[in-house]
Amino acid sequence: MSTPPDRIAAAVAVAQEALTGGRYAVSRLISLVEDVRPSAVLPRDAAIAALEDAARERGHRSSILGVTGTPGSGKSTLLAALAGLLTANDPALRLAIVAVDPSSPTSKGALLGDRTRMNVVGAPERVFFRSQASATALGGLAPSTFQVCRALALLFDVVLVETVGVGQSEADIRHLADRVYLVIAPLGGDELQYLKAGIIEVPDVFIINKCDEPASRSTYHQLRASLWLARPEAGDGLPIFRTSARTGAGVPQLAEAFITDARSHSSSVATKAPHFFDAWVIEEWGRAGKRQLQREGGAERFLAAHEGFGRAQLAFDAAIRRSLQG
Amino acid sequence: MTTQETKSAETPAVAHPGSDTPPAHVIVGPDGQPTRDRPWIIRTYAGHSSARASNELYRSNLSRGQTGLSIAFDLPTQCGYDSDDPIARPEVGKVGVPINSLDDFAILFDQIPLEEMNTSMTINGTAMWLLALYVALARERGAAVDKLSGTTQNDLIKEYLARGTYIFPPEASLRIIAEMYEFCLVNAPSWNASNICSYHLQEAGATPVQELSFALVNAISLLDLLKERGNIPPSDFERLVGRISFFVNSGIRFVEEMCKMRAFTQLWEEITAERYGVQDARFRRYRYGVQVNSLGLTEAQPENNAWRILIEALGVTLSRDARCRALQLPAWNEALSLPRPWDQQWALRLQQILAYETDLLEYPDLFEGSVVVEAKVEELKAQAREEIDRILGMGGVVGAIENGYMKSALVRSMSERVSRINTGEQIVVGLNKWTDGLPSPLLGGEDGGLFTIDASATAETLANLDTVRHTRDDARAKAALAALKEAARSGASMMEPSIECALARVTTGEWARALRQVFGEYRPATGVDGQRLGLTGDRVEQLRARTDALVDVLGHRPRIVVGKPGLDGHSNGAEVIAVSARHVGFDVIYSGIRLSAEEIVRSAIEEGADVIGASVLSGSHVELAEQIMTGLHAEGADSIKVVFGGIIPLADFPKLQALGVAKVFTPSDYDLIDIMESVTSLLEESVVDAT
Repeated sequence: MSTPPDRIAAAVAVAQEALTGGRYAVSRLISLVEDVRPSAVLPRDAAIAALEDAARERGHRSSILGVTGTPGSGKSTLLAALAGLLTANDPALRLAIVAVDPSSPTSKGALLGDRTRMNVVGAPERVFFRSQASATALGGLAPSTFQVCRALALLFDVVLVETVGVGQSEADIRHLADRVYLVIAPLGGDELQYLKAGIIEVPDVFIINKCDEPASRSTYHQLRASLWLARPEAGDGLPIFRTSARTGAGVPQLAEAFITDARSHSSSVATKAPHFFDAWVIEEWGRAGKRQLQREGGAERFLAAHEGFGRAQLAFDAAIRRSLQG
Repeated sequence: MTTQETKSAETPAVAHPGSDTPPAHVIVGPDGQPTRDRPWIIRTYAGHSSARASNELYRSNLSRGQTGLSIAFDLPTQCGYDSDDPIARPEVGKVGVPINSLDDFAILFDQIPLEEMNTSMTINGTAMWLLALYVALARERGAAVDKLSGTTQNDLIKEYLARGTYIFPPEASLRIIAEMYEFCLVNAPSWNASNICSYHLQEAGATPVQELSFALVNAISLLDLLKERGNIPPSDFERLVGRISFFVNSGIRFVEEMCKMRAFTQLWEEITAERYGVQDARFRRYRYGVQVNSLGLTEAQPENNAWRILIEALGVTLSRDARCRALQLPAWNEALSLPRPWDQQWALRLQQILAYETDLLEYPDLFEGSVVVEAKVEELKAQAREEIDRILGMGGVVGAIENGYMKSALVRSMSERVSRINTGEQIVVGLNKWTDGLPSPLLGGEDGGLFTIDASATAETLANLDTVRHTRDDARAKAALAALKEAARSGASMMEPSIECALARVTTGEWARALRQVFGEYRPATGVDGQRLGLTGDRVEQLRARTDALVDVLGHRPRIVVGKPGLDGHSNGAEVIAVSARHVGFDVIYSGIRLSAEEIVRSAIEEGADVIGASVLSGSHVELAEQIMTGLHAEGADSIKVVFGGIIPLADFPKLQALGVAKVFTPSDYDLIDIMESVTSLLEESVVDAT
C-alpha cells in the first residue's frame, strides 16, 4: 500500500493548522482520523506524530473524561451547563466534546441529535463539539473514537466523551477515559436492579440528575446501598452527586469536581492503545484475528514492534492475509 | 390566529313541530318571527412589513366588509426579540407585522376604534406582552378596557408540539396563561386570554381523534390549573369556564370534519357539566374559531387550492349546532408566498358569498337526526374519550409533553400521511394524480402571482425603535423592568407590571429578556426519534447501496447537517428530512430549530459535514443563504454543499443559485426518495469534480 508523499504532507499541514486553532482544520483532522480507507493510514499516523511532537515541545497535558448515562437522564443538558462553567472557571481552558450515538443496523445511517441540547453559554469559542456514529454492530464506541480522542487530547486541555449508557460502551469507555461519570435519572426499583447487573462496576463518579424530582432521595439511598454490596473495596469513597440541569442545583459543585479531576489526571492515551488495537482486530477480523494476534504475542508487543497505530494496523492486515492464504 | 364573537346576542330558537308557529325548517327570532342567523366573524389573517403598512391593510380590509381583525406578527415579535437583534434582522416584517413598542402599536391601530373592534392576535410566547400593549393603548386613548374584545392565542402546549414559538419552559408558560385569565376575568371580561388550538396539531399531522383529545385535554389541564391556583372565587368559576375558547382546523375530508366539530361541541358540554359542574348552559358552549387547512394546499396547480378552501369552509359552517364563531381563510397561493391584498380579498369574498348570498343561515341544524352523522360522531367521541383518559393518566398535558407521548403520536401520524401520499393511496389532485395541466394564468401577472415585501419598510421600523429608545424616560423604563422581574421571581402577577412596561416604552426584546433571565429558555426534545416513514422497496435499497459506495470514496459515511436557521419554528419538514436521510444511510446531525446562520455554519464546520440542508418557511431564505454562504467562505469551507428547502418562490431560485446554493426543494418535491436521490447525486458529482 503506497501513499503519495503529498498526501502525508497535506495531513501534517492540517495538523499544524489545527494546532494554531483553526476550527475547520480540527474538523478535517478528525475526518482524517475517522477515514476508513487504507490510503488514510499513513497520513493519519504522520498527522498524529506531528501533534505528539508539538505537545512534547510545549509540555501539553490533558485529560479525557468519560460521561455516560441512560437515555433520558438529561446528560446532554447537564454537559452543556458543565461546559459553560468549566470554560468560565478557567479563562484559558479549551474543551473538546465527542458525543457518540448508535447507528441504525438496517440503514447504517445515524441520527446525531445531541447538538440540539448542547447550548453552551459563556465561552462557546473555546468549546469544540463533534458527533460520532458508533458504526458498529456491537454498540459502544466507534472504532475510531480512541484515535479521535487521542488526537483531540493533543490539541485540547480536556476531552469529554459522551456515550449512551447501554451495555458495551461502558466497558470501552473505562479503557479510554481517565475518569468515568455515570449520569442517571431518579429510578424505580426495577431499573436499579438493571443498573446493578452491569454498569455499576465501571463509574468513578455517580450523578443523579433531575434531583428536583421526588424519587431522587430514595434513588440516592438505594444507590449507596448497592455500592456497598457491589464495590465493597471502594466503600463510601465513591462520590454521588445530585444535580438538576433544570434549576442549576448541584451543578457548580459537580463542575468543581470535574476541574479537580481534569487537573489531577493527565491522560496517557498512548498506553491505552493495546486495548483499542485488540478491539479493532476483533471488529475487523473476528476470532481468526484474535488467534493471529495471540500468535504475534499480543497487542502490546505488536504495537511496540510497529511505529504508530496505523502502521501496526497495516502490518496486521498483511500478516493475517498471509496466514489465511497459507 | 383567531376566535369568536364575544358579545353575541342570544341565539334565536329553532321552531319545533307541534307548536303553532312556523315549521321545523325555520329559525324563529325573539319576536316570534322567522329570521336568519347572524354570520360568523369574517376575518383574514394579515400583517406584514411594518406597523404603518399593516394599518393601511387592516383599514382597507375593514372597508371591504371584513368584520374583525386577525393580526399576524413577525417572528421576532413572536419570539421576543427587537427588530435590530442579529437573530431577528432577516425576519423583520416577513410573516407578519413587527411590534417593538407601544408606539408601533399606536400606529398599527391608528383610526381603528378599539372598543368596537374584535381583535384576534396570533401570539403565544409573548402573548402577555401584546395584551399589555393593547390594554396600555386603550388606557392612553381613554378607551374602556372592560369593553375590549378579542383573543390572544396564547396556547403554549401546541407551540411545544408543533409550532415552535415558545420562549419559556412549560411551568412558566402555564403560569403566564393563568395570570392572563385571572386578569381578564376581572378587567377585560370579553377578552379570550387564550385559545386552545387544535389547528396546528392538524397541520402537524393529527388525526381527528388526536385533534379532539389533545385539545380537550389541554383545556382540562388549564382549567384544573386555574382551579388549583385558587385565585378565582368559586362563584366566578363558571364564568371562567365560559371564557375557554378554541381554534380549530378544517381539512379536506369535510364530512368527517363536520362530524368532528359536532363531537367537539358535545364532548365539551359533557366535560364542563360533569368535571366542572357548570350549571349555566351559556358557559358550556363550545366556542371556536377556524382557519382552514394549509397543510393540504399544494404548490403544484395552485389554483386548485381555491376549491379546497371552499370545501373546507363548508365543514365548519354547514352544521348550525357546531358552526364556528369566526372564520379566516387562507389564500389560494399560500404554498407559494404570502398573499397579496387581492388574494386576501378573493378569500374574503368567498366568506361573504357563503354567509350573505346563500341560504345557509336560514336553516336550523341540517344534520340533526341523521343516522349516519350521529354514528360517526359517536365513534369519534368514544375514541377521543379513550385517548383523553390515557393522557390524563400520564399526568395531563404537561406529563404527555414531557414524556414525549403527544409529540411522537403526531410525528407518527404525519409519517403515515406522507407515506400514504407517496404510495398514491391518498390522492392529491395535481400533486400525485393528474399532474399534467395547463399553466395557470393566475401566475402570469407582472408580479408572478406573488407578494414581495417593500425592503424600505424595515428601515422605518428600525428608525422608530431607535427613536423610542432615545426619547423615553429611561429611569421609568428601568424601574418598570425591575418591577416585572421582581413579580416574576416572587410569584406575583406579571400583568400589571407588563402594562407599566408598555406605558414606559419598554421594548419587546427588553420585556422578553427580563423574563428569560428569570425563567430560562426552553429547549424541547426533538421529534426525530422513532419516526417511521414507510419508505421501502428497490429505490431505498439502491440509495443505501449508493451511500455505502460513498463511504469508500469520501472515507466516511456521507454526513448532512439538517437545521432550521432563523426564528420560524415549524420543524416537521426538517424532522422528516433528517429521518429520511438516516433511513437511506446518511449520518445526520440534526441541529434543531431557531438557529442563527452562524450556528448552522459552525455545526457543519465542526461536524465535518458534506452538505447542509436548511429548511426555511418564513420567507427569509435569501438573507439566510447569504449569511450561510458567507460564513462557510470565511472558514475556507466552500466545499461544503448547501441545499435549501421550504416555501421558496420560483422567482428566488436564481438568487439562491447565484449565492451558491446547490439545490432548492419546495413543497412540490413531496417525494422524500426523490429528494434523497438528488442530495446523494450532488455528493457523487462533487467527488467526481474533485478527482
